[in-house]
Amino acid sequence: MSLVTVTDLTKHFADNTAVNNVSLSIDKGKCIALLGPNGAGKTTTIKMLAGLLKPTFGTIQFEGSEERDYRNLIGYLPQYPAFYRWMTGKEYLVYAAELSGLPDGEAKEKAEELLKMMGIEEAAKRRISTYSGGMKQRLGLAQAMIHDPKLLILDEPVSALDPVGRYEVLEMIRKLKEKTTILFSTHILHDAEEVSDDIYIIRNGEIVLSGTLQELQEEHQQPVIVIETAEKNEEWLGQLETYAFVANVASTRAEIRIEVNDVDEARNQILKDILSFNIKVKTFKVGYTSLEDLFIKKVTE
Amino acid sequence: MGQWFILFKKECMESWRNYKWLWMPSVFLILGLMQPITTYYLPDILATAGELPEGSEISIPIPPAPDVIAATFGQFSQIGILVLVLASMGIVAGERASGTASMILARPVSRFSFISAKWAAMLLLTWLSYLVGYAGSWYYTFLLIGEVEATNAIGAFFVYGLWLTFAVTLTVFFSTILKNAGIVAFLSIGSLLVISALSHTLTKLLAWSPGRLSVHASSIVSTGEGADHFFLALSVSIGIIIVLLILAYYLFKQKELVE
Amino acid sequence: MDLNWALIAPVIILEFILMIVALVDVIKSDDTNGPKWLWVLVILFIGFLGPILYFVIGRKR
Repeated sequence: MSLVTVTDLTKHFADNTAVNNVSLSIDKGKCIALLGPNGAGKTTTIKMLAGLLKPTFGTIQFEGSEERDYRNLIGYLPQYPAFYRWMTGKEYLVYAAELSGLPDGEAKEKAEELLKMMGIEEAAKRRISTYSGGMKQRLGLAQAMIHDPKLLILDEPVSALDPVGRYEVLEMIRKLKEKTTILFSTHILHDAEEVSDDIYIIRNGEIVLSGTLQELQEEHQQPVIVIETAEKNEEWLGQLETYAFVANVASTRAEIRIEVNDVDEARNQILKDILSFNIKVKTFKVGYTSLEDLFIKKVTE
Repeated sequence: MGQWFILFKKECMESWRNYKWLWMPSVFLILGLMQPITTYYLPDILATAGELPEGSEISIPIPPAPDVIAATFGQFSQIGILVLVLASMGIVAGERASGTASMILARPVSRFSFISAKWAAMLLLTWLSYLVGYAGSWYYTFLLIGEVEATNAIGAFFVYGLWLTFAVTLTVFFSTILKNAGIVAFLSIGSLLVISALSHTLTKLLAWSPGRLSVHASSIVSTGEGADHFFLALSVSIGIIIVLLILAYYLFKQKELVE
Repeated sequence: MDLNWALIAPVIILEFILMIVALVDVIKSDDTNGPKWLWVLVILFIGFLGPILYFVIGRKR
């Protein structure tokens, strides 16, 4: 069941098209990763979803909400959250809650609950100007959650953090996943693999690949034969590319990666070649391409 | 509690933490008190300066009380306006530049409330500071120089206050459409200076200008009545203030929040 | 010159309060726009506009 349906979302700026015909289907209860290199259009897409940028065209449709202003249904954490430095953490959360329409008493309760959940309750009464980067990120998550939004939108929630902070925030997202639907952007595949159910790979403003984590792993993985040799044999490399079972050959000085369609046939032929071309093999490995390979292929091709 | 009031309360709290509630009234009060004091002691000051030739009698007449109030307006028009512009230059621009605005506007907050709450909070602070300074000036003038009729003084207070309101509204307007607070201050002070100077020279052509409000206020404090075309200037000024505010909202609504 | 100190005192007290509040704030703050010692000098020696300048441009937002 789709909570949000995004259709043909496009954003032209004066000198470029940042997002082009992006369609997403965000299912209720899922965690969706928008994965892509820097400058791919992730932030622009997210800002349109958060209502801060107007799409050039395309629609964003919330399930069951005919209203155009769906801002109360989303919680938004920008890439660089900026708070009022003169407020305390708790004051900011209460302010955010009240602006989202929570009554006074409830806002305070909710603020305390979230400060505890994010593990920053000791800093509740300190000015935000004294907070560390990790604490600000938690406060950012707390303010995004405070009105129990149907969809949580997080723009690069972990990229500015050190490894420890990164781990902690990812754990937090895993926890939040139980309660709500999440869309987050990242340029790191590992982060997407860690917590997401569905992945959209975006490049130059366009979705180049999408699916569940499992689908991507199963459908797009290809058998690969990796051979480490003592020296490069150009003649043999040339011949390899002519075989029907070979999909792609990539070689560095010492390593040859052969993506193949038929593993058994490939293995037999290549082993024969190794003998006839007298290749000095150090290792011979049959395996599958990883999601990493797919991601790199998709964002560089 | 209504959303507008929540935004308004936040602005007031920010001004409190920034010490604006301390220094803005202080500046106006210092200016207001110093004007009657220097007027009263001016002959003495000149005498001790000792630049006059031997034997010459100094006779500098102490001006009538209403003129001292009018001179106070002159003080408010310089340092007072400068202080108001500096205090409000970053009111919207700062939030856009830092990115705090986009986190607030991703919530169901209307952009009109966002702007108008800031404007209203700044005006509350302005009028309070001005009231304190004006009352101080009036009281010291009464002690040192002489009485000013209450109805005249109160009438002039509101008319000159409208000029300050215009100045703040103009600054808020620039702050809404520009991101750099320094440029906001520069443009605000520049245009206020030009408006004021032109309105004092082209009196006929610009009879409607808010820049004439200080002339009317000075006239009211001594005669009880505004100068020529007083009601024209009054109503046009109120009109311009409203239009500026609506225009600020309209332009802000078109703005896309990219940091 | 015969000054009426009772009248001038409020002005002096006001300027003094501004100066003290600004000084306390500059000393307490972690960071200012520009060197701290410069702001201390500005607050102490530029009359009542010194503290105002500090409040407007010296404090980090």
